[in-house]
Amino acid sequence: MTPVEGSTLTTVAVVMVAYLGVLLFIGWRAAKRTHGGEDFHLAGRSLGAWSAGISSTASSESGWVTLGAVGMTFTYGVSGLWYAPGCLLGYLVNVYLIAPRLRPLSADQGSVTLTDVITRRWGDPRNVLRVTATAIILVCMMGYVAAQMTAAGKAFSSSLGFEGRGGYILGVVIGAAVITLVTSLGGFRAVAWTDLFQGLLVAIALIALPLYAIARLGGFGALVQGLGAIDPNFLSAGGGRLGPVLWGFVIGQLGIGLGYPGMPHVITRYMAARDDRQVQRLQVIAMFWGVAVFYGAGLVGLVGRVMLPNLADGEQALMAMALQLVHPVLAGLLLAAVISAILSTVSSQLLVAASAVSYDVVEKTLGQASDDRRSLVLGRWTVAVVGLLGILVALSEVRLVFWFVLFAWSGLGAAFAPLILLALMRRGVNRHGALAAMLTGTGVTVAWKLGRDAASNPEIFARVWWVTLLAAAAILVLGQLARAFDAADRAAVVAAASLTVISWWLVQQWGLHNLYELVPAFFLAGFAALAVSAITPISLEERSE
Amino acid sequence: MEEHSLTFGAHLLLWVFPLVLVVLVIAEDLHDRLKSGADR
Repeated sequence: MTPVEGSTLTTVAVVMVAYLGVLLFIGWRAAKRTHGGEDFHLAGRSLGAWSAGISSTASSESGWVTLGAVGMTFTYGVSGLWYAPGCLLGYLVNVYLIAPRLRPLSADQGSVTLTDVITRRWGDPRNVLRVTATAIILVCMMGYVAAQMTAAGKAFSSSLGFEGRGGYILGVVIGAAVITLVTSLGGFRAVAWTDLFQGLLVAIALIALPLYAIARLGGFGALVQGLGAIDPNFLSAGGGRLGPVLWGFVIGQLGIGLGYPGMPHVITRYMAARDDRQVQRLQVIAMFWGVAVFYGAGLVGLVGRVMLPNLADGEQALMAMALQLVHPVLAGLLLAAVISAILSTVSSQLLVAASAVSYDVVEKTLGQASDDRRSLVLGRWTVAVVGLLGILVALSEVRLVFWFVLFAWSGLGAAFAPLILLALMRRGVNRHGALAAMLTGTGVTVAWKLGRDAASNPEIFARVWWVTLLAAAAILVLGQLARAFDAADRAAVVAAASLTVISWWLVQQWGLHNLYELVPAFFLAGFAALAVSAITPISLEERSE
Repeated sequence: MEEHSLTFGAHLLLWVFPLVLVVLVIAEDLHDRLKSGADR
């Protein structure tokens, strides 16, 4: 990147401060309308189509869309765009299959969280499903929150001109503190409203910047000629890949979409929609946003490759183009869009993690039933504590936490997406099948991912089978000590451990290293739900337990 | 100078897929609106 002038940095910093001011103002307005627990965790089921629609999509796309997706097409040309149909197919499933069924179901059940939906759908007399789901959500979300705060800190420090370790710390503290404060004050409503503001900012930036840049380049024809001159493979859908490598790449990219129905921070937006009419309207809004943002990001990467061929890191293309192509005020807005994509996800994940602790653990599992006012105060303090933990992890850069992030999208997707689809669209699954699906999804994700990385890390991969058996034994002992498991629950744990070990064997024997772990984990989790439910029928008396 | 062009697959991926998707989404929305209008 060429050096940026000091006056440009000053202007960008002023825009950034204004952007943070808007977030704080929205948080304050939302706080004034938040009076109780359901208000805090689900905005009192009052969201309109725009806030529910944009919030669901903006919270699902983290800094990945303005950094990673841009880097994909910068690096691979047009073939780097395969993530777009993958993600959009995920959106289609979410808004046309999940949303219209989940909103009325959760309203009838009185469910507040994803865990609530699962436990009330199948019954959970000894809190087995609630504890399992909460543990998976917490592990994945805490890693996610810390990683996003790290990304926000880096983006803030570079756009505000802070330098070195001190600059990074200041960036993390500013970005994370503001979003934690906003989420803590206004809860779900503040998250949805700030998501709407930030989601629109991201969409406008990703539509306007590539159009302007293509015009500057001399039109679409010039873009194609420029890409072809760098590498003719940039102009094909396969990018020069052949055979199993091509299919593994394409299926893996399309497979990203399988995760969307399982993201708690995404599908709770549908639960918060005011009525069925809002759900119908949010379908169009979410799909248009998705097309604009995914293809906009892809075009930024393509144009960036031609305009900035010497840029070392393709993921920085949007920021580099913003600082070099447009007026500093617009550059500030574009950089605010980059940070928006990160912070809209942080706030949503922060709230889900906090709801898992305050609502699912404290209120429901520990039975600390409280009045609406206490629930609100508990929720606010939990967000503050979780946010502070996230900031501390981001600052200390604890490696173990960031290791969990590698599994977060696939882990959540495989553990919950098949389950939610089965919960809404099919009978014939019971709570034991649900337990097997969550454990299988998580286990297979980890085993397969380690299998894909086996060439670079063979020692860890070799340990998977016995670590799986140890984990299963630990779960069985814990379930026994807590007097929570019956024979069918134990069968579910054994089935999940068996499928995990089989997947570990498969990826090793069949050389399936090119296949993204979410794909096998999703289908094996669905299979586990159906198979375990078939062999562990629940009697009517037990069902009403 | 060599003339470059997108392959057929790249055309599908880059603009045919999103265009078809947007058209289908609009058509579905119109269908819903007409249906709910008729129900009323």
